[in-house]
Amino acid sequence: MNAENMEYLTIALPKGKLFKLSAGLLEKIGYEAEGLSEKSRKLVISNEEKKIRFIITKTADVPTYVEYGAADIGIIGKDVLMESGKDVYELLDLGFGRCHLMMAVPKSECRERLSDYAHTRVATKFPRIAEMFFTQQGMQMEYIKLNGSIELGPIVGLSESIVDIVETGTTLKENDLEEIAHIMDATARLIANRVSFKMKFGRIGAMVKDLRAILESEAGICES
Amino acid sequence: MEKEKIVLEIPYGTRDFLPDEAAGKRVIENQLADLFAKWGYHEVVTPTMEYLDTLTMGNGRSLEPHMFKFFDKNNRTVALRHEMTTPIARLVSSRLKDRAMPLKLSYISNVYRYEQTQTGRQCEFYQAGVELMGSSSAAADAEILALAVRGLLRSGLKDFRICLGQVEFVNGIMEQYQLTSKMKEEIKRSIEKRDLVGLDELVDSLEIPLNAKDCLKKIPLLHGNEDMLKSAYEMALNAQSRRALDNLSEIFALLESYGVGRYVAFDLGMIRDFNYYTGMVFEAYTPGLGFPLCGGGRYDHMLSDFGNACPATGFAIGIERILLALERQGIEKPASAKDVFVAYHEGKIAEAITQAEELRAGGNVVELSLSPQTEVEARACQKEMGYKKLVYIA
Repeated sequence: MNAENMEYLTIALPKGKLFKLSAGLLEKIGYEAEGLSEKSRKLVISNEEKKIRFIITKTADVPTYVEYGAADIGIIGKDVLMESGKDVYELLDLGFGRCHLMMAVPKSECRERLSDYAHTRVATKFPRIAEMFFTQQGMQMEYIKLNGSIELGPIVGLSESIVDIVETGTTLKENDLEEIAHIMDATARLIANRVSFKMKFGRIGAMVKDLRAILESEAGICES
Repeated sequence: MEKEKIVLEIPYGTRDFLPDEAAGKRVIENQLADLFAKWGYHEVVTPTMEYLDTLTMGNGRSLEPHMFKFFDKNNRTVALRHEMTTPIARLVSSRLKDRAMPLKLSYISNVYRYEQTQTGRQCEFYQAGVELMGSSSAAADAEILALAVRGLLRSGLKDFRICLGQVEFVNGIMEQYQLTSKMKEEIKRSIEKRDLVGLDELVDSLEIPLNAKDCLKKIPLLHGNEDMLKSAYEMALNAQSRRALDNLSEIFALLESYGVGRYVAFDLGMIRDFNYYTGMVFEAYTPGLGFPLCGGGRYDHMLSDFGNACPATGFAIGIERILLALERQGIEKPASAKDVFVAYHEGKIAEAITQAEELRAGGNVVELSLSPQTEVEARACQKEMGYKKLVYIA
């Protein structure tokens, strides 16, 4: 948030599966910009008339941009947000991008109790959340941070188990893995920088209200 | 093979101030010290380290993991001060106990917190602040707020906003229902963190009337001017929360008299991180900085934890954050003056010393050449070092 940015609202959107849904939702409340696309080569896309600026970043970086105020608000999955541990305001559950974080092991290696896995190796993209979870269970684990294809860990003997996000469970099935512990549910969240929230409350407050109205009306349609 | 290079490291979270940076810091500290003195606040200096028991007496426990701790030779745990309010409360409750109230104290100090370094804050950082002890009136709170605004203005900032809240507003609303203290803590934490999603979940799990639920869920978004404050009266309130709103209105009216009302907005979801606040609380923000510049509030119970019940209110400004904000907003820090370079011909050093001393006594910043020079050399030297004037003794 630079001084000259006071009149602009800067929104950070993550690349990947949340991008389309996020841009679509924002468009419904009039937050749009010409050429706003994940494939855009421009990193910053502005709407001069409405004083909006979009920045498109790697998923895991959205909370960082928002914490430092380089973006006023952002949209990000709860899983990534929690793993980042960033100090940002979480304003709204947007409901989409639903998935859950769980622990899985190869079917053939299932042990009786969760605590039987204590002091074994767990491969994960989410070492922070995994550690919080296992600490609550009174378990110490060896965390192996991977950046993708987590399910490969147990197959090649890198780890005994994995902690990863699951949407449909297909990947687990294909790799003969079985979920043995549910850790948390996650959906996309609207987040805000703590200073922007106060300095630009007029716009951000109105945005939350508008988004809430849209989400409630859509929820109403689903139920009926 | 190249010889191994020596890396002269400094501990994590510390920094050096080079001459320009130190000068900028000193200018702001002098401005603030002068301002605090003009408002009748007396500077105090307390030890850099205190017994851990003192710093954590009362409600300081939550900060204990962030304190630098070590043992003294009798194996008592000592900690570096993590803020100045607690040491000053300790001082007022001991050696200043019998002084006439109200007491107005100020400080400019370094404090230490073991945490991840962030914008404008290292593990060791500098704060300037004041504490007003012995008055629970709105006039005391208004004075503190007005002084904070004046302090930020004196530092050179033009564009900033103070957000003002009252912790009794939230406490009052929760007091009406049978909530466990753990639940209250969790609700307060999610309000302060503006975790609206978490707050909704918490509140929905409670067995309280629907209008009370709506009321709690709305708190984090209660931000605005006097109109917002007026509309807050229409929520489901008890006497305690209504008193909190009255208190804010009263403070605000006084701020208008000080002529600083336009810098202030209300934010009823503000509780601040420390749980020792008991009344009004505030933070200051400025564009270009994603973190607060300044924060404070009323803490009436802390001194009674030291055995000396006494209402108190105060604030602290982060010096490095001010410097950073000035830099980002392109506001020139007042440069330190370089007035006269005194140089001399071979054999004339005694005259040059006399001359330099006279000029210094006259209030000039003077540098004396350490070896004889020709006038041409001296001229070049003066230019290079940036002195306005050359005095050459031929």
